[in-house]
Amino acid sequence: MIRLTLSQMRRSAGRLAAAAVAIVIGTAFVAVTLLAGNVITSTTYDSIAAQYTGADLVVRGAAPGGATEDAVRDVAGVATADEQLMSYQQLENGGRTIFQGVLAEPTDPAVLPLTVTDGALPEAAGEIALPTDVAERLDVAPGDQITLARNVLDGDQEVDEQAWTEVREKLTVSGTLDDPYGAFSMMGGAAVAPAADVQGWEADLMGPGESSGEPATLLVTLDEGVDVGQTREAITGAAATAASNAGMDVSAVDVVTPDEHAESVASEMTGGEDVIFTTFVLVFAAIALLVAALVIANTFQVLVAQRTRTLALLRCVGADKSQLRRSVLFEATLLGLASSVVGLLAGLGLGQAALAVGRGMDLGVPLPETITLTPAVVLVPVVVGTLVTLVAAFAPARAATRVAPLAALRPDEAPTAARGAGRVRLVLSLLVAVVGFALLGAGVALSTAAGEPTTGLLVGVAGGVLSFVGVLVSAVFWLPRVVALAGRLVGASGPTARLAAANTLRNPRRTAATSTALLIGVTLVGMMSTAAASARITMDAEFDGRYPVDVTVSTDLSGSGKDATPVPAGLGDTVRELDGVASVLEVPATSVQLAGDGVDEAAQVIARGMDPDEAASVLRSTESLTPLAAGTAVVPENVADVWGVTDGQTLTLTGPDGPLETTAAVTELADDAVVLVPDDLATLDAAAPTTGLWVGLDDPRDAAAVVPTIQDAVADTEAPADVLGAAVERASFQQVIDTALGIVVGLLAVAVVIALIGVANTLSLSVIERRRESATLRAIGLSKAQLRGMLAVEGVLIALVGAVLGVLLGLVYGWTGAAAALGWAGEPAIAVPWRDVLLMLGVALVAGLVASVAPARTAVRTSPVEALATE
Amino acid sequence: MDTTVYVPIPDDAPAAGARPAVTPAVRARALTKTYGRGEAEVRALDGVDVDFAAGRFTAIMGPSGSGKSTLMHLLAGLDSATSGQAFVGSTEVTGLNDKALTAVRRTRVGFVFQQFNLLPMFTAEQNITLPVELAGGTVDKMWLGTLVDTLGLGKRLTHRPAELSGGQQQRVAIARALIAQPDVVFADEPTGNLDSRSGAEVLSFLRRSVRELGRTIIMVTHDPAAAAYADRVVLIADGKIAGDITDPTPESALAGLDALRTVAAR
Ligand SMILES: Nc1ncnc2c1ncn2[C@@H]1O[C@H](COP(=O)(O)OP(=O)(O)O)[C@@H](O)[C@H]1O
Ligand SMILES: [Mg+2]
Repeated sequence: MIRLTLSQMRRSAGRLAAAAVAIVIGTAFVAVTLLAGNVITSTTYDSIAAQYTGADLVVRGAAPGGATEDAVRDVAGVATADEQLMSYQQLENGGRTIFQGVLAEPTDPAVLPLTVTDGALPEAAGEIALPTDVAERLDVAPGDQITLARNVLDGDQEVDEQAWTEVREKLTVSGTLDDPYGAFSMMGGAAVAPAADVQGWEADLMGPGESSGEPATLLVTLDEGVDVGQTREAITGAAATAASNAGMDVSAVDVVTPDEHAESVASEMTGGEDVIFTTFVLVFAAIALLVAALVIANTFQVLVAQRTRTLALLRCVGADKSQLRRSVLFEATLLGLASSVVGLLAGLGLGQAALAVGRGMDLGVPLPETITLTPAVVLVPVVVGTLVTLVAAFAPARAATRVAPLAALRPDEAPTAARGAGRVRLVLSLLVAVVGFALLGAGVALSTAAGEPTTGLLVGVAGGVLSFVGVLVSAVFWLPRVVALAGRLVGASGPTARLAAANTLRNPRRTAATSTALLIGVTLVGMMSTAAASARITMDAEFDGRYPVDVTVSTDLSGSGKDATPVPAGLGDTVRELDGVASVLEVPATSVQLAGDGVDEAAQVIARGMDPDEAASVLRSTESLTPLAAGTAVVPENVADVWGVTDGQTLTLTGPDGPLETTAAVTELADDAVVLVPDDLATLDAAAPTTGLWVGLDDPRDAAAVVPTIQDAVADTEAPADVLGAAVERASFQQVIDTALGIVVGLLAVAVVIALIGVANTLSLSVIERRRESATLRAIGLSKAQLRGMLAVEGVLIALVGAVLGVLLGLVYGWTGAAAALGWAGEPAIAVPWRDVLLMLGVALVAGLVASVAPARTAVRTSPVEALATE
Repeated sequence: MDTTVYVPIPDDAPAAGARPAVTPAVRARALTKTYGRGEAEVRALDGVDVDFAAGRFTAIMGPSGSGKSTLMHLLAGLDSATSGQAFVGSTEVTGLNDKALTAVRRTRVGFVFQQFNLLPMFTAEQNITLPVELAGGTVDKMWLGTLVDTLGLGKRLTHRPAELSGGQQQRVAIARALIAQPDVVFADEPTGNLDSRSGAEVLSFLRRSVRELGRTIIMVTHDPAAAAYADRVVLIADGKIAGDITDPTPESALAGLDALRTVAAR
């Protein structure tokens, strides 16, 4: 039996090719995913390990502060001991602000895994070494000065009375640094400042004598030739004593080697990023494999149909049903195993190539040189690929057992259409689909109308999955009808198309499976791009309302409005001239006292003045400024909340030039200042300086490019002005959506590619099956071009029906998904991503045509003489 | 509109005399076909010269492997000759490219196959009219009616091949071969897959097509009883013309075939 199976396989090698390719792609996908997961794990480990390269020992769980450092330094054999302390600080130069982690400089620079590219490490207080890219962004070089803006806790120790003061200090850039091992790549790089400075900044964040209570990590270097084991114990003792003095948990104190430390930290982190990543991508690999399974099932169905005679003969000479089934399954196992191994090798090759390319590009993360082979990377793809093939062959194997011995005696007939699927399946699958769609609707209703976004989303997702399963399982019943309908449409165009349409209906199961494979991929791609388009529009509307100003340049941020310096004269005009800037509104402001019923007595805010019409020319949405009129103060919601202002109440503002009675109008304006008309502001402060520029951009999508030019213009004036771009946030949000969409679509594209191979597979199998028929058609006057045309129409019909249905389903899922996910952000918008839709249909059309090329070449080679052949 | 009325030719009228035989419907001149090379070379046809008159029903008969099918394939332009010429009417089919051959197949020749070769997804009527549609023409309704009546297919037109008996399927195939009013219809063992009763029926229909509808039919068979339905039998052996019988009877056809075997045996 095995010999027979092998010889049959050899004869059908060409027919198995497409199925094999489908498995190869699917398993390669799995292999690459697992490899990438490994790379993430190992770069995580490497990056953690790099932080400790220079140290001989690492003390963990120690008490923070100088006491521990001193205690450890006193241990015999210890050369240096430094707490690894990082303080996040705001660094500014000109109009640019960067939030940066600053590392306390260790006593022994060898402990620092950073290299100096220019200048030197800080030597004196007030110096700082910056990562190269940060220095570039701040536009400074060694010797230049930057501003450190930090908050200092002042006042009494009574918690209620605590208040923050912003302190601005000048720091001198001592040098620039590179992070060759990516030690701090996960923290956005690290600047270095003298340990005393960094400790001082951290201390200023706490009350006197207070401690963060967070366990600290110390990096220790030892004198040459010291016994590590003994010193380790002595250090543990010293650190433990220091910890118990500080009232901390002594048992947490632990002294390890850098490698041990990196390993334990990395293993804490596994189950984090890499697992999420791997799971996420494996979902797409599973989709690709599902589609591959459909292609495989189709192939085996055709093989069994074509071998009916042989199978029947075998039954006549005494083979029993289980032998036939085993033969088919054995063939599937062999095919699956061989293809999976090829897929694995392809995956490993791809992974290695990707690493090489990645190392060539400067990704900021040092990638390993070679891929890491683990048992999982090798076994999982092979086992999964083989299993999927085997499972896909189950139904065809059962069909093989149904071949009656009598079939051997019947005259040679073209294999007839497969039996329709059972009624139970129809009822069940339709039920599942209906329930699924109902849940989907319920999910949307829950998250929009009922305001239960989390429940709504969960119900919606469950409904989406259920309905999709229902749709796919029931496809065999309704999809051929859709193809028939489409066939009738194209059939009107002539006999070739009519032949093609009739051909697609000869084996409804095969056509359904082929179209379904494509439908899966297209639906998911369509869903993602529809959801992204809807999300974009919904969020645009949301952003317009919330951040009506694209970019603001202001000198009165962070509550220091009292002594605000005005925006330099002429800056408004300069900005207005910049490319990409549509309009600029100069906004005068002053500091005022608020008074009114229920309003906090200490209420002091900034009041801005602007003309509603002029404001409208800058704002994306004037909604939050609609109430603005003489005698009205528009109060942003967050300001109203802080000071206890209620909508509609009478509010007395008092400025340097006197008081003003207004009516408060609380709106969603995203600002920390109240807004008045210019005349009202003049009543409060006749000499109110212009402290802000409101800038409208031509296209907020260009914010990432335009905002830096505004920053440059501001920096040139050397005024202490902040440039805030809501548009930047908006653009980066859009970029997140676009990037996520791009990645997801790229991952789904694998499934679509496999499905398209499936279309070609189905066509070429049909061509082989219809050899005699093609010859007959040629004998009665079908030209070669018509034969090619017939197959092209067949391919296009199968592909387009799958794609059109997929797009429609994708739109439904995309819209409902966006509605369920973004229902909280107001009325969800419904968008049709026309470009993507047309692209997908175009790809399906072209793919259908291309899929018919190879089969058509085989078909036209068939001589009409074969119609007359008897066997 | 084609309003030609097909006047049945009386059974006793000399078939060949119904029209002046200016050019034969089909001709072969020194037609040769070899398969394989060197040691394995098979000379399936060896310099065949033969004419087939228009308006006649001719049978090509010979033992199995004698080259009957090969001759038919070459005459119909389905396969290429090694040397020599084959003509349908005045057109030399041995020299045509695929495009021209397709045109010849659409208008000048029809085929009837041993395995019927109907398209399973189309009804009998759709199968019959397919050649005209493939050629982009319009179906001559009157001619279709005549064919359907003559072949007794009136009640079967909406049936699919699977719902028809073998004899009925072959009658549909004959109608399909005749629908475009070709100059000649080739039939290769048209009764090979039929029981004797359906076979006899099909053969009478072929003869009626010639006698009553004025068609030209060349039929390949190894069965003397089938050959007896023809007006003339061309005998072939070892790829060469080996005899000619006019107005054959089953007996004379069998005798002719036996004579070939004796020759071969000697
Ligand atoms: N495609 C082919 N390749 C090789 N030999 C062939 C081929 N077709 C026919 N022959 C050989 O040519 C001879 C004539 O065949 P054929 O015309 O089919 O005979 P018939 O139809 O009279 O039985 C036979 O010997 C046959 O084996
Ligand atoms: Mg033959």
